[in-house]
Amino acid sequence: MADLSVKVCGVLFKNPVIAASGTFGFGKEFNEIYDIGALGGISTKGLTLEPRLGNATPRIAEGHGVILNSVGLQNPGVDRFLAEDLDFLKASGTVIIANVAGKTLEDYAQICAKLDGKVDMIELNISCPNVRCGGMAFGIRPESVESVTKSAKSQLKKTPLIVKLSPNVENIAVNALAAEKGGADCVSLINTLTGMVIDIENRRPLLANNTGGVSGAGIKPIAIRMVYEVCRAVSIPVIGMGGITCAEDALEFIIAGASAVQVGTANFTDTMAMPKIISGLNKWLDERKIPNLSSLRGTLTVNG
Amino acid sequence: MKELTLKVLKNEPIAAGIYRMRLELPEKTEGIRCGQFINISVGDASHLLRRPIAICQKDESSVTICYQVKGNGTKNLSGAKAGDILQSVLPLGNGFILEEKEKKIALLGGGVGVFPMVSVLQEYAGKGKNFYSYVGFRNKDAVCMESEFQQMSEKVCFVTDDGSYGERGNAVEAFLKEYDSLLPDVIFACGPLPMLRALKKAMRDFAIKTPCYVSLEERMGCGIGACLVCVCKKSGKAENVRVCKDGPVFEIDEVEI
Repeated sequence: MADLSVKVCGVLFKNPVIAASGTFGFGKEFNEIYDIGALGGISTKGLTLEPRLGNATPRIAEGHGVILNSVGLQNPGVDRFLAEDLDFLKASGTVIIANVAGKTLEDYAQICAKLDGKVDMIELNISCPNVRCGGMAFGIRPESVESVTKSAKSQLKKTPLIVKLSPNVENIAVNALAAEKGGADCVSLINTLTGMVIDIENRRPLLANNTGGVSGAGIKPIAIRMVYEVCRAVSIPVIGMGGITCAEDALEFIIAGASAVQVGTANFTDTMAMPKIISGLNKWLDERKIPNLSSLRGTLTVNG
Repeated sequence: MKELTLKVLKNEPIAAGIYRMRLELPEKTEGIRCGQFINISVGDASHLLRRPIAICQKDESSVTICYQVKGNGTKNLSGAKAGDILQSVLPLGNGFILEEKEKKIALLGGGVGVFPMVSVLQEYAGKGKNFYSYVGFRNKDAVCMESEFQQMSEKVCFVTDDGSYGERGNAVEAFLKEYDSLLPDVIFACGPLPMLRALKKAMRDFAIKTPCYVSLEERMGCGIGACLVCVCKKSGKAENVRVCKDGPVFEIDEVEI
Protein backbone atom coordinates (compact mmCIF):
# COMPACT_ATOMS: atom_id res chain seq x y z
CA MET A 1 0.00 0.00 0.00
CA ALA A 2 1.49 3.27 -1.13
CA ASP A 3 1.11 6.42 0.94
CA LEU A 4 -1.62 8.40 -0.82
CA SER A 5 -1.88 11.14 1.79
CA VAL A 6 -1.40 14.74 0.79
CA LYS A 7 -1.24 17.95 2.79
CA VAL A 8 -2.90 21.04 1.33
CA CYS A 9 -2.62 24.33 3.28
CA GLY A 10 -1.83 22.35 6.43
CA VAL A 11 -4.92 20.14 6.04
CA LEU A 12 -4.15 16.43 5.86
CA PHE A 13 -6.10 14.40 3.27
CA LYS A 14 -5.84 10.59 3.56
CA ASN A 15 -5.82 10.49 -0.24
CA PRO A 16 -6.04 13.17 -2.93
CA VAL A 17 -9.53 12.26 -4.19
CA ILE A 18 -12.18 14.86 -3.33
CA ALA A 19 -15.83 14.85 -4.36
CA ALA A 20 -16.51 17.90 -6.53
CA SER A 21 -19.14 20.38 -5.45
CA GLY A 22 -22.65 19.82 -6.78
CA THR A 23 -22.24 16.16 -7.66
CA PHE A 24 -22.26 14.78 -4.15
CA GLY A 25 -24.80 16.79 -2.14
CA PHE A 26 -23.78 16.67 1.52
CA GLY A 27 -22.65 13.06 1.28
CA LYS A 28 -25.69 11.30 2.75
CA GLU A 29 -26.86 9.57 -0.42
CA PHE A 30 -23.47 8.26 -1.52
CA ASN A 31 -22.88 7.06 2.04
CA GLU A 32 -25.76 4.62 1.48
CA ILE A 33 -23.61 3.02 -1.25
CA TYR A 34 -20.14 3.19 0.32
CA ASP A 35 -18.40 4.65 3.37
CA ILE A 36 -17.65 8.24 2.38
CA GLY A 37 -15.02 8.31 5.11
CA ALA A 38 -12.77 6.52 2.61
CA LEU A 39 -12.60 9.65 0.47
CA GLY A 40 -9.89 12.27 0.71
CA GLY A 41 -12.47 15.00 1.04
CA ILE A 42 -15.89 16.31 0.07
CA SER A 43 -16.64 19.70 -1.40
CA THR A 44 -20.25 20.38 -0.50
CA LYS A 45 -23.09 21.49 -2.70
CA GLY A 46 -22.65 25.26 -3.25
CA LEU A 47 -24.03 27.17 -0.28
CA THR A 48 -25.59 30.62 -0.30
CA LEU A 49 -26.74 32.86 2.56
CA GLU A 50 -30.42 32.25 1.79
CA PRO A 51 -31.98 29.01 0.52
CA ARG A 52 -32.23 28.81 -3.29
CA LEU A 53 -34.63 26.78 -5.44
CA GLY A 54 -32.42 26.79 -8.52
CA ASN A 55 -33.36 26.79 -12.20
CA ALA A 56 -36.30 25.24 -14.06
CA THR A 57 -35.97 21.68 -15.42
CA PRO A 58 -34.57 20.09 -17.55
CA ARG A 59 -31.35 20.84 -15.72
CA ILE A 60 -29.16 18.28 -17.46
CA ALA A 61 -28.20 17.33 -21.00
CA GLU A 62 -25.56 15.24 -22.72
CA GLY A 63 -23.00 15.49 -25.50
CA HIS A 64 -20.26 13.09 -26.66
CA GLY A 65 -18.19 12.37 -23.58
CA VAL A 66 -19.64 15.35 -21.72
CA ILE A 67 -22.70 16.48 -19.83
CA LEU A 68 -24.16 19.94 -19.30
CA ASN A 69 -25.88 21.05 -16.12
CA SER A 70 -27.79 24.12 -15.05
CA VAL A 71 -28.93 23.32 -11.54
CA GLY A 72 -28.59 26.97 -10.54
CA LEU A 73 -27.28 26.58 -7.01
CA GLN A 74 -30.30 24.93 -5.42
CA ASN A 75 -29.34 24.63 -1.75
CA PRO A 76 -30.91 24.89 1.71
CA GLY A 77 -28.84 27.93 2.71
CA VAL A 78 -25.78 28.05 4.97
CA ASP A 79 -27.74 28.12 8.26
CA ARG A 80 -29.62 24.90 7.54
CA PHE A 81 -26.38 23.31 6.34
CA LEU A 82 -24.73 24.15 9.65
CA ALA A 83 -27.72 22.90 11.64
CA GLU A 84 -28.62 19.78 9.67
CA ASP A 85 -25.75 18.53 7.53
CA LEU A 86 -22.41 19.48 9.03
CA ASP A 87 -22.43 17.04 11.96
CA PHE A 88 -23.08 14.09 9.66
CA LEU A 89 -20.27 15.15 7.34
CA LYS A 90 -17.81 15.69 10.19
CA ALA A 91 -18.58 12.29 11.68
CA SER A 92 -17.61 10.66 8.38
CA GLY A 93 -13.94 11.37 9.05
CA THR A 94 -13.17 12.93 5.69
CA VAL A 95 -12.00 16.50 4.99
CA ILE A 96 -14.99 18.84 4.68
CA ILE A 97 -14.75 21.69 2.20
CA ALA A 98 -17.70 24.11 2.22
CA ASN A 99 -18.32 25.41 -1.28
CA VAL A 100 -19.88 28.89 -1.12
CA ALA A 101 -21.41 31.30 -3.60
CA GLY A 102 -22.88 34.76 -3.44
CA LYS A 103 -24.18 37.70 -5.41
CA THR A 104 -22.23 40.46 -3.67
CA LEU A 105 -18.90 40.93 -1.91
CA GLU A 106 -20.83 41.20 1.36
CA ASP A 107 -22.56 37.84 0.70
CA TYR A 108 -19.16 36.15 0.42
CA ALA A 109 -17.87 37.89 3.54
CA GLN A 110 -20.95 36.98 5.58
CA ILE A 111 -21.09 33.36 4.55
CA CYS A 112 -17.37 32.94 5.25
CA ALA A 113 -17.82 34.50 8.69
CA LYS A 114 -20.52 31.91 9.45
CA LEU A 115 -18.34 29.00 8.36
CA ASP A 116 -14.94 30.05 9.73
CA GLY A 117 -13.56 27.43 12.09
CA LYS A 118 -16.49 25.07 11.46
CA VAL A 119 -15.25 23.31 8.30
CA ASP A 120 -11.78 22.20 7.22
CA MET A 121 -11.58 24.43 4.14
CA ILE A 122 -13.78 26.88 2.24
CA GLU A 123 -14.01 26.88 -1.55
CA LEU A 124 -15.27 30.05 -3.22
CA ASN A 125 -17.47 29.47 -6.21
CA ILE A 126 -16.84 32.61 -8.23
CA SER A 127 -17.37 30.91 -11.54
CA CYS A 128 -20.73 29.18 -11.48
CA PRO A 129 -22.10 30.13 -14.89
CA ASN A 130 -25.73 29.52 -14.01
CA VAL A 131 -26.77 32.46 -11.92
CA ARG A 132 -27.46 35.44 -14.10
CA CYS A 133 -26.50 38.14 -11.68
CA GLY A 134 -23.41 37.67 -9.57
CA GLY A 135 -21.58 34.34 -9.82
CA MET A 136 -20.04 34.74 -13.23
CA ALA A 137 -19.02 38.37 -12.89
CA PHE A 138 -16.59 37.81 -10.02
CA GLY A 139 -14.81 35.01 -11.81
CA ILE A 140 -14.18 36.65 -15.15
CA ARG A 141 -11.94 39.64 -14.54
CA PRO A 142 -8.75 39.42 -12.46
CA GLU A 143 -9.66 42.61 -10.56
CA SER A 144 -12.95 41.15 -9.31
CA VAL A 145 -11.32 37.77 -8.57
CA GLU A 146 -8.92 39.62 -6.31
CA SER A 147 -11.61 41.72 -4.61
CA VAL A 148 -13.96 38.81 -3.89
CA THR A 149 -11.05 36.77 -2.55
CA LYS A 150 -10.04 39.66 -0.25
CA SER A 151 -13.61 40.06 0.96
CA ALA A 152 -13.90 36.37 1.85
CA LYS A 153 -10.42 36.16 3.34
CA SER A 154 -11.05 39.14 5.62
CA GLN A 155 -13.57 37.01 7.57
CA LEU A 156 -11.45 33.88 7.84
CA LYS A 157 -9.27 33.57 10.91
CA LYS A 158 -9.00 29.78 11.03
CA THR A 159 -10.17 28.13 7.83
CA PRO A 160 -7.97 28.03 4.71
CA LEU A 161 -9.50 29.53 1.57
CA ILE A 162 -9.65 27.88 -1.85
CA VAL A 163 -10.74 29.95 -4.85
CA LYS A 164 -12.36 27.87 -7.61
CA LEU A 165 -11.48 29.31 -11.00
CA SER A 166 -13.62 29.56 -14.10
CA PRO A 167 -12.16 28.39 -17.43
CA ASN A 168 -14.40 30.82 -19.34
CA VAL A 169 -11.80 33.58 -19.15
CA GLU A 170 -9.07 35.23 -21.19
CA ASN A 171 -6.17 33.87 -19.16
CA ILE A 172 -6.77 31.54 -16.24
CA ALA A 173 -3.20 31.89 -14.93
CA VAL A 174 -3.69 35.65 -14.57
CA ASN A 175 -6.88 35.04 -12.59
CA ALA A 176 -5.08 32.48 -10.42
CA LEU A 177 -2.43 35.08 -9.62
CA ALA A 178 -5.19 37.56 -8.80
CA ALA A 179 -6.67 35.07 -6.32
CA GLU A 180 -3.24 34.53 -4.79
CA LYS A 181 -2.76 38.30 -4.49
CA GLY A 182 -6.20 38.59 -2.86
CA GLY A 183 -5.11 36.16 -0.15
CA ALA A 184 -6.23 32.76 -1.43
CA ASP A 185 -4.47 29.85 0.27
CA CYS A 186 -5.18 27.55 -2.67
CA VAL A 187 -6.89 27.55 -6.06
CA SER A 188 -9.03 24.81 -7.60
CA LEU A 189 -9.77 24.43 -11.30
CA ILE A 190 -11.49 24.05 -13.64
CA ASN A 191 -15.13 24.83 -13.07
CA THR A 192 -17.41 23.95 -16.00
CA LEU A 193 -17.11 25.42 -19.49
CA THR A 194 -20.25 27.16 -20.68
CA GLY A 195 -22.11 25.30 -23.42
CA MET A 196 -25.43 24.68 -25.15
CA VAL A 197 -27.31 21.74 -26.66
CA ILE A 198 -30.17 22.22 -29.13
CA ASP A 199 -33.13 19.93 -29.66
CA ILE A 200 -33.44 20.13 -33.46
CA GLU A 201 -37.03 18.81 -33.54
CA ASN A 202 -38.48 21.75 -31.62
CA ARG A 203 -35.51 24.08 -32.27
CA ARG A 204 -35.05 25.01 -28.66
CA PRO A 205 -32.16 24.58 -26.24
CA LEU A 206 -32.51 21.34 -24.33
CA LEU A 207 -31.75 22.96 -20.99
CA ALA A 208 -34.51 25.12 -19.51
CA ASN A 209 -31.78 27.65 -18.68
CA ASN A 210 -30.64 27.58 -22.37
CA THR A 211 -26.96 27.23 -21.43
CA GLY A 212 -25.20 25.07 -18.88
CA GLY A 213 -21.83 24.04 -17.55
CA VAL A 214 -20.00 21.41 -19.61
CA SER A 215 -18.16 18.74 -17.63
CA GLY A 216 -17.03 15.14 -17.96
CA ALA A 217 -14.33 13.10 -19.67
CA GLY A 218 -14.38 15.22 -22.85
CA ILE A 219 -13.07 18.36 -21.12
CA LYS A 220 -10.06 16.71 -19.48
CA PRO A 221 -7.35 17.85 -21.93
CA ILE A 222 -8.49 21.46 -21.50
CA ALA A 223 -8.45 21.09 -17.71
CA ILE A 224 -4.98 19.52 -17.74
CA ARG A 225 -3.60 22.35 -19.87
CA MET A 226 -5.09 24.97 -17.54
CA VAL A 227 -3.85 23.24 -14.38
CA TYR A 228 -0.39 23.07 -15.94
CA GLU A 229 -0.47 26.81 -16.73
CA VAL A 230 -1.72 27.77 -13.28
CA CYS A 231 0.78 25.55 -11.45
CA ARG A 232 3.59 27.33 -13.28
CA ALA A 233 2.16 30.75 -12.36
CA VAL A 234 1.30 30.56 -8.65
CA SER A 235 3.15 29.48 -5.54
CA ILE A 236 0.03 28.35 -3.60
CA PRO A 237 -1.27 24.76 -3.89
CA VAL A 238 -3.56 23.80 -6.78
CA ILE A 239 -6.44 21.34 -6.74
CA GLY A 240 -7.12 19.98 -10.22
CA MET A 241 -10.38 18.79 -11.73
CA GLY A 242 -12.14 18.32 -15.04
CA GLY A 243 -13.13 14.99 -16.57
CA ILE A 244 -11.35 12.66 -14.16
CA THR A 245 -12.80 9.15 -14.45
CA CYS A 246 -9.94 6.86 -13.36
CA ALA A 247 -6.66 6.77 -11.41
CA GLU A 248 -4.63 7.47 -14.55
CA ASP A 249 -6.59 10.68 -15.16
CA ALA A 250 -5.96 11.79 -11.56
CA LEU A 251 -2.24 11.09 -12.00
CA GLU A 252 -2.07 13.37 -15.05
CA PHE A 253 -3.29 16.27 -12.91
CA ILE A 254 -0.83 15.45 -10.12
CA ILE A 255 2.11 15.19 -12.50
CA ALA A 256 1.01 18.54 -13.99
CA GLY A 257 1.39 20.00 -10.48
CA ALA A 258 -1.92 19.52 -8.65
CA SER A 259 -1.73 18.64 -4.95
CA ALA A 260 -5.13 16.95 -4.98
CA VAL A 261 -7.97 16.34 -7.41
CA GLN A 262 -11.75 16.58 -7.49
CA VAL A 263 -14.09 14.13 -9.18
CA GLY A 264 -17.53 15.26 -10.30
CA THR A 265 -19.32 13.92 -13.35
CA ALA A 266 -17.78 10.45 -12.97
CA ASN A 267 -19.98 10.03 -9.86
CA PHE A 268 -22.99 10.03 -12.20
CA THR A 269 -21.49 7.52 -14.63
CA ASP A 270 -20.53 5.12 -11.84
CA THR A 271 -21.57 5.66 -8.22
CA MET A 272 -18.40 3.80 -7.15
CA ALA A 273 -16.09 5.98 -9.30
CA MET A 274 -14.18 7.56 -6.42
CA PRO A 275 -13.43 4.41 -4.40
CA LYS A 276 -12.27 2.84 -7.68
CA ILE A 277 -9.97 5.80 -8.39
CA ILE A 278 -8.46 5.55 -4.89
CA SER A 279 -7.77 1.82 -5.20
CA GLY A 280 -6.50 2.41 -8.75
CA LEU A 281 -3.97 4.95 -7.46
CA ASN A 282 -2.72 2.45 -4.90
CA LYS A 283 -2.35 -0.25 -7.52
CA TRP A 284 -0.57 2.03 -9.99
CA LEU A 285 1.96 3.22 -7.41
CA ASP A 286 2.53 -0.27 -5.99
CA GLU A 287 3.15 -1.73 -9.43
CA ARG A 288 5.85 0.88 -9.98
CA LYS A 289 7.19 0.62 -6.43
CA ILE A 290 6.57 4.32 -5.81
CA PRO A 291 6.13 4.66 -2.03
CA ASN A 292 4.24 7.94 -1.93
CA LEU A 293 1.96 9.78 -4.25
CA SER A 294 3.12 13.28 -3.32
CA SER A 295 6.54 12.51 -4.79
CA LEU A 296 4.91 12.62 -8.23
CA ARG A 297 3.51 16.12 -7.85
CA GLY A 298 4.73 18.54 -10.50
CA THR A 299 7.21 16.08 -11.99
CA LEU A 300 6.17 16.92 -15.54
CA THR A 301 8.99 17.55 -18.02
CA VAL A 302 7.79 19.55 -20.97
CA ASN A 303 9.31 19.17 -24.40
CA GLY A 304 11.92 21.80 -25.26
CA MET B 1 -29.38 0.72 -3.20
CA LYS B 2 -26.23 -0.79 -4.60
CA GLU B 3 -23.85 -0.36 -7.52
CA LEU B 4 -24.19 -3.61 -9.44
CA THR B 5 -22.85 -5.23 -12.59
CA LEU B 6 -25.79 -6.67 -14.52
CA LYS B 7 -25.69 -9.26 -17.30
CA VAL B 8 -28.14 -8.89 -20.15
CA LEU B 9 -30.19 -12.10 -20.43
CA LYS B 10 -32.53 -10.93 -23.16
CA ASN B 11 -33.21 -7.67 -25.02
CA GLU B 12 -36.03 -7.69 -27.55
CA PRO B 13 -38.58 -5.38 -29.17
CA ILE B 14 -42.11 -5.91 -27.86
CA ALA B 15 -43.92 -3.08 -29.69
CA ALA B 16 -43.05 -0.23 -32.06
CA GLY B 17 -39.95 1.43 -30.55
CA ILE B 18 -40.37 -0.41 -27.24
CA TYR B 19 -37.82 -2.92 -25.92
CA ARG B 20 -37.91 -5.32 -23.01
CA MET B 21 -34.58 -6.14 -21.34
CA ARG B 22 -34.12 -8.82 -18.72
CA LEU B 23 -31.01 -8.39 -16.58
CA GLU B 24 -29.38 -10.89 -14.28
CA LEU B 25 -28.59 -9.63 -10.78
CA PRO B 26 -25.12 -10.66 -9.53
CA GLU B 27 -26.49 -11.46 -6.09
CA LYS B 28 -29.82 -12.29 -4.53
CA THR B 29 -31.49 -8.92 -4.14
CA GLU B 30 -34.50 -8.64 -1.91
CA GLY B 31 -36.61 -5.64 -1.09
CA ILE B 32 -37.11 -4.32 -4.62
CA ARG B 33 -40.56 -2.71 -4.60
CA CYS B 34 -42.99 -2.06 -7.42
CA GLY B 35 -42.65 1.43 -8.86
CA GLN B 36 -38.93 1.63 -8.18
CA PHE B 37 -36.40 2.14 -10.96
CA ILE B 38 -32.82 1.46 -11.93
CA ASN B 39 -30.26 3.92 -13.31
CA ILE B 40 -28.41 2.02 -16.00
CA SER B 41 -25.49 2.68 -18.29
CA VAL B 42 -26.35 2.47 -21.99
CA GLY B 43 -23.13 0.55 -22.62
CA ASP B 44 -21.18 3.20 -24.53
CA ALA B 45 -18.41 5.32 -23.00
CA SER B 46 -19.45 8.46 -24.88
CA HIS B 47 -22.75 8.53 -22.95
CA LEU B 48 -21.77 9.61 -19.45
CA LEU B 49 -25.31 9.73 -18.12
CA ARG B 50 -27.16 6.63 -17.11
CA ARG B 51 -30.81 6.22 -18.01
CA PRO B 52 -33.43 5.96 -15.26
CA ILE B 53 -35.84 3.18 -16.24
CA ALA B 54 -38.75 1.73 -14.25
CA ILE B 55 -38.59 -1.86 -13.11
CA CYS B 56 -41.38 -3.74 -14.87
CA GLN B 57 -40.89 -7.24 -13.48
CA LYS B 58 -38.52 -8.80 -10.98
CA ASP B 59 -37.58 -11.92 -9.13
CA GLU B 60 -34.75 -12.70 -6.73
CA SER B 61 -32.18 -13.07 -9.47
CA SER B 62 -33.29 -10.71 -12.25
CA VAL B 63 -35.03 -7.47 -13.11
CA THR B 64 -36.87 -6.68 -16.32
CA ILE B 65 -37.07 -3.14 -17.66
CA CYS B 66 -39.01 -1.86 -20.65
CA TYR B 67 -37.96 1.29 -22.46
CA GLN B 68 -38.75 3.39 -25.47
CA VAL B 69 -36.01 4.20 -27.96
CA LYS B 70 -36.04 8.00 -27.94
CA GLY B 71 -32.49 9.23 -28.50
CA ASN B 72 -28.95 7.97 -29.04
CA GLY B 73 -28.67 6.62 -25.50
CA THR B 74 -31.70 4.35 -25.61
CA LYS B 75 -30.81 3.45 -29.22
CA ASN B 76 -27.51 2.20 -27.89
CA LEU B 77 -29.26 0.29 -25.13
CA SER B 78 -31.51 -1.38 -27.70
CA GLY B 79 -28.37 -2.79 -29.35
CA ALA B 80 -27.29 -4.69 -26.20
CA LYS B 81 -27.04 -8.46 -26.69
CA ALA B 82 -27.50 -11.36 -24.28
CA GLY B 83 -24.27 -11.70 -22.30
CA ASP B 84 -23.41 -8.00 -22.44
CA ILE B 85 -22.53 -6.36 -19.12
CA LEU B 86 -24.14 -3.10 -17.99
CA GLN B 87 -23.38 -1.14 -14.81
CA SER B 88 -26.32 0.04 -12.78
CA VAL B 89 -27.36 1.37 -9.40
CA LEU B 90 -30.56 -0.06 -7.93
CA PRO B 91 -33.18 -0.19 -6.59
CA LEU B 92 -33.97 3.53 -6.60
CA GLY B 93 -36.89 5.65 -5.46
CA ASN B 94 -39.80 5.03 -3.11
CA GLY B 95 -42.16 2.95 -5.28
CA PHE B 96 -45.88 2.30 -4.94
CA ILE B 97 -47.12 1.03 -1.59
CA LEU B 98 -50.60 -0.38 -0.92
CA GLU B 99 -52.08 -0.27 2.53
CA GLU B 100 -53.81 -3.31 3.99
CA LYS B 101 -57.25 -1.68 3.83
CA GLU B 102 -56.86 -0.74 0.15
CA LYS B 103 -58.48 -3.61 -1.75
CA LYS B 104 -59.89 -2.06 -4.92
CA ILE B 105 -57.18 -0.38 -6.92
CA ALA B 106 -57.45 1.62 -10.14
CA LEU B 107 -54.29 1.51 -12.27
CA LEU B 108 -53.88 4.14 -14.98
CA GLY B 109 -50.99 3.71 -17.40
CA GLY B 110 -50.18 5.64 -20.55
CA GLY B 111 -47.38 4.83 -23.02
CA VAL B 112 -44.20 3.77 -21.20
CA GLY B 113 -46.12 4.55 -18.00
CA VAL B 114 -47.82 1.16 -18.29
CA PHE B 115 -44.66 -0.69 -17.16
CA PRO B 116 -44.62 0.46 -13.51
CA MET B 117 -48.28 -0.61 -13.39
CA VAL B 118 -47.26 -4.12 -14.43
CA SER B 119 -44.80 -4.11 -11.50
CA VAL B 120 -47.67 -3.24 -9.13
CA LEU B 121 -49.77 -6.10 -10.52
CA GLN B 122 -46.90 -8.54 -10.19
CA GLU B 123 -46.05 -7.55 -6.62
CA TYR B 124 -49.59 -7.79 -5.28
CA ALA B 125 -50.79 -10.76 -7.32
CA GLY B 126 -52.57 -13.29 -5.07
CA LYS B 127 -52.59 -10.92 -2.09
CA GLY B 128 -56.33 -10.25 -2.01
CA LYS B 129 -56.23 -7.07 -4.07
CA ASN B 130 -58.54 -6.32 -7.00
CA PHE B 131 -57.07 -4.30 -9.82
CA TYR B 132 -58.98 -2.33 -12.44
CA SER B 133 -56.56 -1.31 -15.18
CA TYR B 134 -56.95 1.53 -17.69
CA VAL B 135 -54.19 1.23 -20.22
CA GLY B 136 -53.55 3.72 -23.01
CA PHE B 137 -51.28 3.64 -26.05
CA ARG B 138 -50.72 5.86 -29.08
CA ASN B 139 -51.95 3.23 -31.56
CA LYS B 140 -52.11 -0.53 -32.04
CA ASP B 141 -48.41 -0.77 -32.97
CA ALA B 142 -47.46 0.53 -29.53
CA VAL B 143 -49.65 -1.93 -27.61
CA CYS B 144 -47.83 -4.38 -25.33
CA MET B 145 -48.25 -6.20 -22.00
CA GLU B 146 -51.85 -7.15 -22.88
CA SER B 147 -51.63 -10.61 -21.31
CA GLU B 148 -49.98 -9.30 -18.12
CA PHE B 149 -52.80 -6.83 -17.61
CA GLN B 150 -55.49 -9.34 -18.55
CA GLN B 151 -54.18 -12.09 -16.29
CA MET B 152 -53.68 -10.00 -13.19
CA SER B 153 -56.56 -7.47 -13.36
CA GLU B 154 -60.21 -7.97 -12.43
CA LYS B 155 -60.98 -5.84 -15.42
CA VAL B 156 -58.79 -4.15 -18.00
CA CYS B 157 -59.69 -1.46 -20.47
CA PHE B 158 -57.31 -0.83 -23.38
CA VAL B 159 -57.58 2.45 -25.26
CA THR B 160 -55.61 4.06 -28.08
CA ASP B 161 -55.39 7.68 -29.23
CA ASP B 162 -56.64 6.70 -32.70
CA GLY B 163 -58.95 3.83 -31.77
CA SER B 164 -56.85 1.30 -33.69
CA TYR B 165 -56.84 -1.01 -30.63
CA GLY B 166 -59.52 -1.06 -27.94
CA GLU B 167 -61.65 2.00 -27.59
CA ARG B 168 -60.62 5.40 -28.86
CA GLY B 169 -59.51 7.73 -26.05
CA ASN B 170 -57.05 7.88 -23.22
CA ALA B 171 -56.60 6.10 -19.90
CA VAL B 172 -57.93 9.02 -17.84
CA GLU B 173 -61.15 9.29 -19.91
CA ALA B 174 -61.67 5.53 -19.72
CA PHE B 175 -61.20 5.60 -15.95
CA LEU B 176 -63.57 8.55 -15.44
CA LYS B 177 -66.33 6.77 -17.38
CA GLU B 178 -66.26 3.97 -14.85
CA TYR B 179 -65.36 5.90 -11.73
CA ASP B 180 -68.88 6.12 -10.25
CA SER B 181 -69.56 2.41 -10.57
CA LEU B 182 -66.02 1.48 -9.45
CA LEU B 183 -65.31 3.83 -6.51
CA PRO B 184 -61.75 2.55 -5.98
CA ASP B 185 -59.91 2.74 -2.64
CA VAL B 186 -56.81 4.15 -4.29
CA ILE B 187 -55.57 5.28 -7.72
CA PHE B 188 -52.06 4.68 -9.09
CA ALA B 189 -51.06 6.44 -12.32
CA CYS B 190 -48.03 6.79 -14.55
CA GLY B 191 -47.78 8.31 -18.00
CA PRO B 192 -46.94 11.44 -19.93
CA LEU B 193 -47.35 14.79 -18.11
CA PRO B 194 -50.50 15.80 -20.08
CA MET B 195 -52.15 12.58 -18.87
CA LEU B 196 -51.23 13.23 -15.23
CA ARG B 197 -52.37 16.85 -15.54
CA ALA B 198 -55.69 15.69 -17.00
CA LEU B 199 -56.11 13.31 -14.07
CA LYS B 200 -55.32 16.04 -11.54
CA LYS B 201 -57.77 18.42 -13.21
CA ALA B 202 -60.53 15.79 -13.39
CA MET B 203 -60.10 14.92 -9.73
CA ARG B 204 -60.45 18.58 -8.83
CA ASP B 205 -63.38 19.20 -11.22
CA PHE B 206 -65.35 16.18 -10.03
CA ALA B 207 -64.25 16.51 -6.39
CA ILE B 208 -62.79 13.00 -6.39
CA LYS B 209 -61.22 12.47 -2.97
CA THR B 210 -59.78 9.01 -3.59
CA PRO B 211 -56.10 8.84 -2.59
CA CYS B 212 -54.09 9.11 -5.80
CA TYR B 213 -50.40 8.47 -6.36
CA VAL B 214 -48.53 9.31 -9.56
CA SER B 215 -45.07 8.31 -10.74
CA LEU B 216 -43.11 11.13 -12.37
CA GLU B 217 -40.37 11.16 -14.98
CA GLU B 218 -37.55 13.70 -15.21
CA ARG B 219 -34.08 13.89 -16.73
CA MET B 220 -31.69 12.72 -14.02
CA GLY B 221 -28.05 13.05 -13.08
CA CYS B 222 -26.89 10.80 -10.25
CA GLY B 223 -30.26 9.04 -9.76
CA ILE B 224 -29.66 8.71 -6.01
CA GLY B 225 -30.64 12.14 -4.69
CA ALA B 226 -27.30 13.95 -4.51
CA CYS B 227 -27.16 16.23 -7.55
CA LEU B 228 -30.56 18.01 -7.44
CA VAL B 229 -31.04 17.77 -11.21
CA CYS B 230 -34.44 16.02 -11.32
CA VAL B 231 -36.50 18.27 -9.10
CA CYS B 232 -40.18 19.10 -9.07
CA LYS B 233 -41.95 21.90 -7.19
CA LYS B 234 -43.87 21.06 -4.06
CA SER B 235 -47.44 22.35 -4.25
CA GLY B 236 -48.00 25.60 -2.40
CA LYS B 237 -44.49 25.72 -0.95
CA ALA B 238 -41.22 27.34 -1.94
CA GLU B 239 -39.58 23.95 -1.86
CA ASN B 240 -38.44 21.32 -4.36
CA VAL B 241 -38.65 17.56 -4.10
CA ARG B 242 -36.23 15.20 -5.81
CA VAL B 243 -37.99 12.91 -8.29
CA CYS B 244 -35.29 10.23 -7.91
CA LYS B 245 -35.09 10.09 -4.11
CA ASP B 246 -38.27 11.60 -2.64
CA GLY B 247 -40.25 10.04 -5.54
CA PRO B 248 -40.72 9.01 -8.25
CA VAL B 249 -44.13 8.28 -6.68
CA PHE B 250 -45.91 11.27 -5.16
CA GLU B 251 -49.37 11.94 -3.82
CA ILE B 252 -50.95 13.82 -6.76
CA ASP B 253 -51.58 17.03 -4.78
CA GLU B 254 -48.13 17.05 -3.19
CA VAL B 255 -46.38 18.20 -6.38
CA GLU B 256 -46.93 20.69 -9.18
CA ILE B 257 -47.36 18.82 -12.44
